[in-house]
Amino acid sequence: MKRGIAVLMVLLIAVALVAAQPAQAAKTIKVGLVDCYTGPPSTYTNDVRDAFQLAVAKFNAEGGILGHRIEYVIRDDKFKVDLGIEAAKELLLREKVDMLVGTINSATALAISELARKEKVPFIATFSKSENITGAKGHRYVFSVTENTAMAGKAGATGLAKKPFVKYWIAGDDYEYGHAIADGVWNNLKKLKPEVQLLGQSWWKVGEPDFTPYITAMLSAKPDAVIVATGGASCVPFLKAAKTTGFNEKVPFFMHTATELATLKPVGLDAPEGVIGTSNYYFYYPQTPANQNFVKEFTQAFGRQPTVGALYGYMAATYIKKAYEKAGKVNTEKFIDALEGMTIDTAVGPVTMRALDHQAELPMFMGVTKKAEGYNFLVASDIVTIPGKDVMPTAEEIKAARAKK
Amino acid sequence: MRMETTATISVSALAQQFLVGLSRTTILFIVSSGLSLMLGVLRIPNIAHGSLYMIGAFLTYTIATAIGGGWGFALALGLAPLGVAMVGFVLERGLLCRLYDREHLMLLLFTFSFTLVLNDLVKLIWGSDFRSLTAPVLLQGAFDMMGLPFPRYNLFLLALGPLVALGLWVLTNRTRIGKIARAAALDRDMVDAVGINVSWVFAAVFVIGCFLAGLGGALVAPTQNITQGMDHTIIMEAFLIVIIGGLGNIWGALLGAAIFGLTDAMGILLWPQFAIVFPYIAVVVVLVFRPKGLLKSTW
Repeated sequence: MKRGIAVLMVLLIAVALVAAQPAQAAKTIKVGLVDCYTGPPSTYTNDVRDAFQLAVAKFNAEGGILGHRIEYVIRDDKFKVDLGIEAAKELLLREKVDMLVGTINSATALAISELARKEKVPFIATFSKSENITGAKGHRYVFSVTENTAMAGKAGATGLAKKPFVKYWIAGDDYEYGHAIADGVWNNLKKLKPEVQLLGQSWWKVGEPDFTPYITAMLSAKPDAVIVATGGASCVPFLKAAKTTGFNEKVPFFMHTATELATLKPVGLDAPEGVIGTSNYYFYYPQTPANQNFVKEFTQAFGRQPTVGALYGYMAATYIKKAYEKAGKVNTEKFIDALEGMTIDTAVGPVTMRALDHQAELPMFMGVTKKAEGYNFLVASDIVTIPGKDVMPTAEEIKAARAKK
Repeated sequence: MRMETTATISVSALAQQFLVGLSRTTILFIVSSGLSLMLGVLRIPNIAHGSLYMIGAFLTYTIATAIGGGWGFALALGLAPLGVAMVGFVLERGLLCRLYDREHLMLLLFTFSFTLVLNDLVKLIWGSDFRSLTAPVLLQGAFDMMGLPFPRYNLFLLALGPLVALGLWVLTNRTRIGKIARAAALDRDMVDAVGINVSWVFAAVFVIGCFLAGLGGALVAPTQNITQGMDHTIIMEAFLIVIIGGLGNIWGALLGAAIFGLTDAMGILLWPQFAIVFPYIAVVVVLVFRPKGLLKSTW
C-alpha cells in the first residue's frame, strides 16, 4: 500500500512537471544575439541589434508570433572567435535559446554555424561576409541575411567592367575577407573583360595604422584604377589617408564598403569624393514608401539614420516571425522548412531566402561618393541597382564549393 | 592571382618612399625614445607606454575638435602630451615610486596592470567608438615631388623629427636633470650617495617619457583611427625598436626607429605582397649579429 502511494506521488509530480513545462516555455520564443559591440566593428553591428530590437518590440506589441512573446539575450564577443563560440554555447545551454543570430566576424560566424549544425539549432548570420557561410560550409541550420564576398565580387566586377580601366592594382587587408573580396572582384572582372591587367598587389596587416607608404607606392606604379579590399576597421582610416595624400584625385579606386553610411559618416565632409562602392542599403535610395517608412520608424526610435546593418537586423526578425507563422507552430525543423524559399517585404523590396543555399537574394547598389546638399557627410551618387539574382552564386558554383570540402 | 607585368620602380619613387619611411621613423622614434628613457634610467619595462600613447591621441581629438580649426590642432599638439604627462605624474608619485626596487618581472606585471586600468579609463571617458580627426587645412593634401604626390602632413613630421631629437639631446646632455638621469642610469646608488634626491629625478624622467608617448599619439591622431587597441601595435613596435637599438639608449631608439620605418616603407614599394614581414626580418638580422642591440645598452 505504501508503495502504491509512492508511485502515485511520483506520477503526480511527473504530471505536474509536464503540465507546467509548456505553460512556461511555450509562451516565448527566445533568440540569442552574439556579436561584436566593442571597437570599430560596433559602427556596423549596433544598427543590426537596434533594428532587431525595434522589429521585435513591434511584433510583440502586435501579439507576438503565434501567441508567443519574442525574447532576446545579447552577448558581446569583442570580435574574438573563442568568446563568440563560448557565448553561443552559453546561450544554448543556460539561456536555452531557440536560435542564434549575429556576428560580423566571419570566423566566428563559421564556428557558430558549426555549433548550430551539431546542436540542430537555426543560426542566422547578420553581417559576416564570408561566402563560405552559405557556400562551401553551408548546411540545413545556417542562413544568411547579408551579402557575401562572392556577391560583392560579382557586383563590383559588373560595375568596373563598364569603366574604361585596364591596368589595375589590388590592395587590402591580409586576412580572409580581404583576399576573398579581392579574388571575387578580380576573377569576375577577368571573365567580363579579359583585357584587364594586374600590375601588382599590396597586402597590409589587419589594423594597419598608416596607409601613406602603401598609397605612395601604389601611385608610383601608375595603375588606371585600384581595387581596395579592406574590411570594417580599415575603411575609415583608408579613406582619410586617400584624402590626405590626394590618392582619389590621382587614381580612381573601388572599395566595396566605401559608400556605406557607417563608413562615410565618421569621416564627415573630409571623405574623398569619387570613390566607387557597393552596398545593400542606402537610407536615401530607393525613395520607395517601404524605405521611407523604415527610415522614419528607425530614426524616430534611435535619432539617427539607419545604416545597412539596420536592414539586416530588421530582416532577421521579420524572417523569424514569418517563418514560424508559415510553419504554424513553434518547431525548429518546421521553421527551417518554412524559411527555405520564403519571400518577405523589406525596405529594399521583396527579398527571397534562396532554398538552395539559405542565402538571402539581396539587391546590390553601386554608387560613387559625392558631397550632397543637406548632409554633413558624403552620399552615394549615380546609383545603379544590380538585382539580387544577378549577383548570387549559381547553383553549380554552390554545388562545386560544397563538393570540394 | 598572377601578375601579368611587373611595375618598374623609378628613382623618384624610391626617393619619395624613403622620405615617407623617414616621416614614419619620426613617430616611432618619439614613442620609443620615451620607452627607452624609462628603461635606461628607471629600469622599468613600461608596457603601459602604448596606452599613454592612445590617451595622447584621444586627448588630441577632444581638444582639437573642441576648439576647432588649425589653432585647435596646434594647441592640442601642445596640450595633449602635457595631459598625458600629468597622468604619468600621478601614476609615478602614486604607485611606481614605491616599486622601483622590485624585480623586473614584478614591474612588468605592474605596468601590464596599468594598461588594463588605463584602457578601461579610456573606455569610460571616450566610450568604445572610434574617433577620427582631420589634419588642419594647411597640412592636408599633397604637393608634387618629382612627379609624385608627397603628403604635406608627412613633410610636417619630417620637420618635427629632428627638433624632437635635438630637444632630447639638449635635455640629456646640457641640463642638470639630464646629467643626473644619465648618472642614475649607470649607478643609481652612487647618485643617491652623493646626496641627490633620485626619487624626484625619476619622477621627472617618467613624466618626460609619458610626454613623449603622448606626443607620438597626438601626432598620429590625424592619420589613423583613434581607437581602443591602437596601443597594441605601437607597444610591440616600440619594444622591438628599443631592443634592436640597445636597451635604454635613446640614440639606439633613433637608429632602431629608422631601421624599422625604412625597411617597412621600402618593403611596401619593392615587394608589396610580402611587405608585412620586412621590418621583422630586419629585427631578426640585427639580433642575430648584435644580440644586445646596435648601440651600447645601459642594462
